[in-house]
Amino acid sequence: MKVEATVIDGRKVYSVHAFNGGVASWLARLPTVWVEGEVTDLRRQQRWASVFFTLKDPEDGACLSVQMQRGKFDALDLGLADGERVHVFGRPELYEQRGELRLRALTIERYGLGAHLAGLERLKRKLAAEGMFDAGRKRALPRFPRLIGLVTGNDAAAKRDVLTQLQQRFPPANVLVAETYVQGPKAPAAIVTAIGDLCRRSVDVIVLTRGGGSFEDLLPFSDERVVRAVAACDVPVVSAVGHEQDTPLCDLAADVRASTPTAAVRLVVPDAADLRASLARSRASLQRGASRSAERHAQRLAALRERLHRAPLLDIERRTGRLETAHARLVALSPRATLERGYAIVRRGEDVVRSREQVAAGESLDVLVADGTFAARVE
Amino acid sequence: MSGEPTFEEAQRELDAIVERLERGDAGIDELTKLWERGEELYRLCVAKLDGVRGRIEELARTTES
Repeated sequence: MKVEATVIDGRKVYSVHAFNGGVASWLARLPTVWVEGEVTDLRRQQRWASVFFTLKDPEDGACLSVQMQRGKFDALDLGLADGERVHVFGRPELYEQRGELRLRALTIERYGLGAHLAGLERLKRKLAAEGMFDAGRKRALPRFPRLIGLVTGNDAAAKRDVLTQLQQRFPPANVLVAETYVQGPKAPAAIVTAIGDLCRRSVDVIVLTRGGGSFEDLLPFSDERVVRAVAACDVPVVSAVGHEQDTPLCDLAADVRASTPTAAVRLVVPDAADLRASLARSRASLQRGASRSAERHAQRLAALRERLHRAPLLDIERRTGRLETAHARLVALSPRATLERGYAIVRRGEDVVRSREQVAAGESLDVLVADGTFAARVE
Repeated sequence: MSGEPTFEEAQRELDAIVERLERGDAGIDELTKLWERGEELYRLCVAKLDGVRGRIEELARTTES
């Protein structure tokens, strides 16, 4: 299509109509492509020739208007609803009257379970490569949380269940509840907002919980935005989403994974009954310990007293012993044993006679034998 | 002196006192003081556990966006 411009003061000027027409014809040369996104704002009416919806990028919310002939759309019989993930095959075109870009859809395919799984697997590998699921990133939960943040759906039963159990197990627990969407297209952004809000209110642990549901129901908990928010959260996060067999990606990014909301409660608060029992034990030990210490002091004192009393007696015993030893040695050294064998000691006055030179005839001497002394005269 | 200890602090101090007393090396003058402090901490913990009922508060809902 030839686009006519008018020349005004040496300047080429296009009318809006011409400009749009030109862009439209350029766009029309682009090939047909598949585009993936979430269906939002679906508008279909019997009297309209076309069906309109907006295709939204689940990642960053980028939008693209889509138009499809109503006959074609109805023939597909997809029963699409807002929030569903689809692949749209079509070509870009310009709605010239408004200068708006849109995708003219030729066919639409529901993004299937297989595609979802493959997408999840890709995301999981990507995040794992970033180290988001590393064991080293996991933080310990506070032993006594001052304020617990609870992200939960507006499913009254599940929420009440968790709150009741929290209060039963640990009555002093303070809880801040952030009710939010837990399924559907609005859920990921809402969950991220809830986590952020709770952090700003200085909770010291967050429990992310949702009851069981279908694979699709739990998808928001594998959404990249949610997984990143959980990993980047300022405080430890316990993920309790779905049932035991479900492993949404947020479970891997969380600091602790609980298989059920009940298990999460057990992880987050201590059992008051256990604590009471342990306190009672501490108190008993306290009394035992105190009396044992006192007893030990008393024993030490008694032992000291005992030693004090025994000391003089010991001293006498020690002295007596020494005396006996001395006596024994004295006995050993005395000549009595020798005298008993028949020897005699001859004394002249005080002197022991050792030589004949010491005595003269007629002198009187004393002779000592074993049983006594008798006098003798030298001849 | 800082204010009243938290439950966790009180329990930790109680444990430390019990351990100290069980070792039996506390001086006789200290003994009474330790025991009284232990009893006080015990009562504090029990009061916190049984007497205080936690608050449950709701954040403004994000479901009405």
